[in-house]
Amino acid sequence: MAFEIDVEMEQKVADFYQSLGINQGPGDLQYRIILLVLNKNEGKITEFADIREYTDNFADKGSIGSKMKTVFQLEGLVEKVKRGGYMITDKGIIAANFLKDTTDYYKKTKRMGDMIDRMP
Amino acid sequence: MTAGLILNATICFAITASSFAFAWVLASSEDKHNEKSKPALWALVVLWSLVALTYLPTTIRMIASVTNHPSLDLMMYNLAAIPFSMVTVPLVFFILYIITGNQKISGYLSFLFILFGAAYLAFLYSNGVIGPIMTEYSSMFKINSDTAINIYLVGLFVIPTAMILGLMMLIFLQRMPRHLRYRTTLPLVAISFVFDFMLTDMITDMDVMQVAARTFILIGTVLAFLAYFPPSTLKKTLGIETSLNESYEEEENGL
Repeated sequence: MAFEIDVEMEQKVADFYQSLGINQGPGDLQYRIILLVLNKNEGKITEFADIREYTDNFADKGSIGSKMKTVFQLEGLVEKVKRGGYMITDKGIIAANFLKDTTDYYKKTKRMGDMIDRMP
Repeated sequence: MTAGLILNATICFAITASSFAFAWVLASSEDKHNEKSKPALWALVVLWSLVALTYLPTTIRMIASVTNHPSLDLMMYNLAAIPFSMVTVPLVFFILYIITGNQKISGYLSFLFILFGAAYLAFLYSNGVIGPIMTEYSSMFKINSDTAINIYLVGLFVIPTAMILGLMMLIFLQRMPRHLRYRTTLPLVAISFVFDFMLTDMITDMDVMQVAARTFILIGTVLAFLAYFPPSTLKKTLGIETSLNESYEEEENGL
């Protein structure tokens, strides 16, 4: 499924979840971007360069590599297929779908919050 | 006959006074509201002022019928029809602004309802009314134009009521804190209460139903007041206090 990744939007969603005390997963911008890039390349190999295209502005190369190893590989969300190349697993797709739900939830909550703000 | 009419006049006066008071209190609480909610607040002020302006001539109309002045009765009926036909305009603006947040779109769409109201008035005035028919509780007029009634039912009643119900559904489908649910739903229930019974009041040909409708309008106004300014006992009973106590801070080791 082809879709664009909006880093600014993802930042807002991550900030929202962090404000609820959820600092990992949906509240972690790096996690969100990595998973979205992997999901975008479903069935294809994702290289570090694909991820860094989005993360270079806010994260260094080392932290992305470390997250890939300690979270994504360890939990079986990705499979390493070559040096610096990963493919998303079925479990990873479940995680990506959950991430999309978190975005929808953020949008719904924000929309309702805005409506309540406008209510005298 | 006179006692019933005096009761009717009293209810009309109570609606006028409470609606004006509510509009006044809302307007004077302007500085407590944020910039985003001010357009909706002013729409509410206009709405409640129009309700009051509808029932002020109606009060005079009831007094005129007690004192046997049918020409004044007719004049006041025609006068009351003007604010009555425009009640929809601020209501539509209020709902659309809350949903979309866009003042321009809400303004343009609510302008459409001025046209509906004007069409209603044009048909009402051009065809005239039949009456006044004196009854035990009221002085009734019969609208002599089916087109005016149809415009009122379709344009001025069904669409705004559907909008209120839609907005209430949107709120009900969300999980939100109880005090927010109270603050958002109760004003809508109250507005819908007043609005629906104003229609009943205007088109009914039974005097008892008219008095009952006016009583419910009064209840709706009080309900709206309670929605915005709930007394502390009600807050405690419903569990809708935002904070039960002052911020509790105590330094205890390990806690």
